[in-house]
Amino acid sequence: MTVGLIAMQLFSGLALGAILIMVALGLSIIFGMLGIVNFAHGALFMVGAYAGLYVASLTGSFWWGLLLAPLLIGAFGMLIERFLIRPLYGRSPDDPLLLTFGLGYVLVEAVRILFGTEGIPFSTPAELRGVVNLGFGVFPIYRLFVVGVVVAVLVLLWVGLEKTKFGLIVRAGAADPTIMRVLGVDIDRLWLVIFGIGVAITALGGVLAAPMRNINPEMGTLVLAEAFVVTVIGGMGSLGGAVVAGLLVGVAISMTSLFAPEMATIVMFALMAVILLVRPNGLYGRALPGQ
Amino acid sequence: MTITKAPTLPAAMAGDRFAPILAGLSRWRVPLSLLALCVLPWVLPSQALAVNVLIYGLVAVGYNLLFGYTGLLSFGHATFFGAGAYTTGMAISHFGANWFVAMVAGVFIAGLLALVMGALAIRTRGIYFAMVTLALSQLVYYTALQASSWTGGENGLRGFTVSQLDFPGFSVNLLDPVEKYYAIMVVVALALWFVSRILNSPFGAVIEAIRENETRARACGYNVERTKLVAFVLSGLLCGLAGTLSAMHLAIVPLDSLHYHTSGLMVMMTLLGGAGTFFGPFVGALAFLSMEDVFSLWTSHWQIIVGSIFIIFVLYLPRGIWGTLMALGRRP
Amino acid sequence: MTAPILSVRDVGKQFGGLVALKGVTADFHAGQITAIIGPNGAGKSTFFNILSGALRPTTGTMRFQGADMAGVPQHQYVHRGIARSYQITNIFPHLTAHENVRVAAQAFRSRFDIWTDRARLAEVSEKAAATLAAVGLADKAGTLARNLAHGQQRALEIAIALVADPVLLLLDEPTAGMGPEETREMVGLIEKLASSRTILLVEHKMKMILGLSDRVLVLHHGELLADGTPAEIQANPEVRRVYLGQSDGYA
Repeated sequence: MTVGLIAMQLFSGLALGAILIMVALGLSIIFGMLGIVNFAHGALFMVGAYAGLYVASLTGSFWWGLLLAPLLIGAFGMLIERFLIRPLYGRSPDDPLLLTFGLGYVLVEAVRILFGTEGIPFSTPAELRGVVNLGFGVFPIYRLFVVGVVVAVLVLLWVGLEKTKFGLIVRAGAADPTIMRVLGVDIDRLWLVIFGIGVAITALGGVLAAPMRNINPEMGTLVLAEAFVVTVIGGMGSLGGAVVAGLLVGVAISMTSLFAPEMATIVMFALMAVILLVRPNGLYGRALPGQ
Repeated sequence: MTITKAPTLPAAMAGDRFAPILAGLSRWRVPLSLLALCVLPWVLPSQALAVNVLIYGLVAVGYNLLFGYTGLLSFGHATFFGAGAYTTGMAISHFGANWFVAMVAGVFIAGLLALVMGALAIRTRGIYFAMVTLALSQLVYYTALQASSWTGGENGLRGFTVSQLDFPGFSVNLLDPVEKYYAIMVVVALALWFVSRILNSPFGAVIEAIRENETRARACGYNVERTKLVAFVLSGLLCGLAGTLSAMHLAIVPLDSLHYHTSGLMVMMTLLGGAGTFFGPFVGALAFLSMEDVFSLWTSHWQIIVGSIFIIFVLYLPRGIWGTLMALGRRP
Repeated sequence: MTAPILSVRDVGKQFGGLVALKGVTADFHAGQITAIIGPNGAGKSTFFNILSGALRPTTGTMRFQGADMAGVPQHQYVHRGIARSYQITNIFPHLTAHENVRVAAQAFRSRFDIWTDRARLAEVSEKAAATLAAVGLADKAGTLARNLAHGQQRALEIAIALVADPVLLLLDEPTAGMGPEETREMVGLIEKLASSRTILLVEHKMKMILGLSDRVLVLHHGELLADGTPAEIQANPEVRRVYLGQSDGYA
């Protein structure tokens, strides 16, 4: 057990955390602004991965997949919001949850029909293969790339929310949708766009994860649970909370892998249970929309 | 046999010609359910389907107590179903317990897990509840996956076939499908009677008040958190019982019993049938399992059909089959 | 001088940076009708929420019948004798009017019971029926609460609080959305209730308040602006300034 090994595991944990942050962000954005728990989240992550695969195989380039898949699936997300979820506003808050759960079911089966039930390998793009020496150990370049993309997304989100007019409207709309309507803001269109953005980020996570995990129709199953864990730990609707929680969980899993690899997944859920004991609303939980 | 007393019929609905029928259905709900269940194996295309309807109907009844009547959407109930099944199986295969002790143990462990999960989940606010219950139940799933020397891991738990139930004076041969069905039916019938009493009790009134308006229920003087926890545990006990029956029926416990997909099944069946109604859960189990049976003959991708139907129900028929029928019957 | 039934000292509530209520001190005496008035945002709802246990004050104390209410959980308030009706109708929509009141009455039968048929709880049912009759809803007993007319829902709103037989009854805009005729009926009901209990009332209808109340508290920007008899309040120059141009149709 050298310091170098621990440092490597910590770093691994950060990289793992980056994916978890990505996974939780899409969920948190949609929940934070719309008050909807998107149970199709894992399925959309998986669909994003497949979309990336499809675009990459059509164009021969991973980069096109990375760029276009989120846009395509984000647009698909907007269709979902417009036709399946909008009719549910004003009804019980459980209804969008139930609907998206059914949707997830349908999406997984649709992918099985279109792409088959077997897993499809997705090779790391040539430019990003190999490792780099970080001083305390060697680290896969692709994972560094993923961390980089996640950081970029976080920065973009932060800038978008805090510094733009659109972001101001989004934050105000989350706090009080009624006032927004009175002020003439088209809340319906706002929520449509936000849902699309949330789904696009989720799909981007899927594309990023594709070279690291085998692409198969079931890959979203654990992702949904992971997203929930990170969101519950971080606190619903708190983007900052999602970041902190993602890193925390990533490091916890990584360090556990060092001592008891078979316990790694369990640790994530156990961590959530423990935090719930002391902080029922997560580390940075805030009031839910409408409360 | 106790006859449940009908709620007093309001004068305002006297002109409604279905009202007497609805009142009668409500008053005689346990005997009517029994009658339907007795006839089921002869009416359905297969015995296997009938037993599944029994078992999953009970699961849905247990789930409905929490979801339909108390208004709490849990995605973790697979834990109680699976725990009931695994405990029963392990008790028989690892400890050589007899079937009765194994079943009691199964129900007990399910209740205990419900107490723990409920205590953690109920403290969280509103919509978190579904996420927390799902995540906590996955904790149990992955633990079972890892504890493969106990649970059989990915392959599930096997090796605990119970072929005969011995009672003083007679025995039930579980290898005969008909005897097995009616043996399971007796348990389900008792459970239904128990649920009917709960729903008619003062406690039943409180959980409905909580579903209708939690803050007002609290202002009226009810300890809402404690009531929810009790409802959660009762619901867990019932799902656990269904789990024990499943273990006895299949003689194996698949790992998937603990996965949130199974929780999702419960949600779907309950909603399809009619959440918050007495007959809804069985109607939903029957509908879902029949659809699975029929559609899987046409295509291996039957889930996409069932999933789409579920979406349509959420959008247009949220009361489910039975709930919608009841609502239509109330209009003159 | 008899001890006040309810005593608040320097009660305040802060939500993050927002001070909703600041330093309210008042005594309330048994058998009186006290009205709490003030422009929107004055802190009336916050004050009521604190008095009914829905919110914890950030500062100050509240004593009811001599007991300090700090730390008493919200669901115990009604058992202590404080019940409240809400400004925005807060009933049980899919239960019948009778059941709405019956379940509220049942809360005082504190045994844990998952076995008895609740239709057998005769006293609880009778109490509910009597309360429904007292607010004039006897003939609507079997109607689903969501199907009642607005005025009937407001009456049901009060019945739910009333069946608790509270010592202190908090009524939050009981005549909200009501026309003159219904308002007169409600005033009659409140006067009848006041003979046996203490009532605190939040309202906007000036004429109604001034005719009905023994005492009026005026809140403004979270602070207690004035406290006195209706006549004193009407003559108070600051109150007149705050309310200039703010009368609603029935004042």
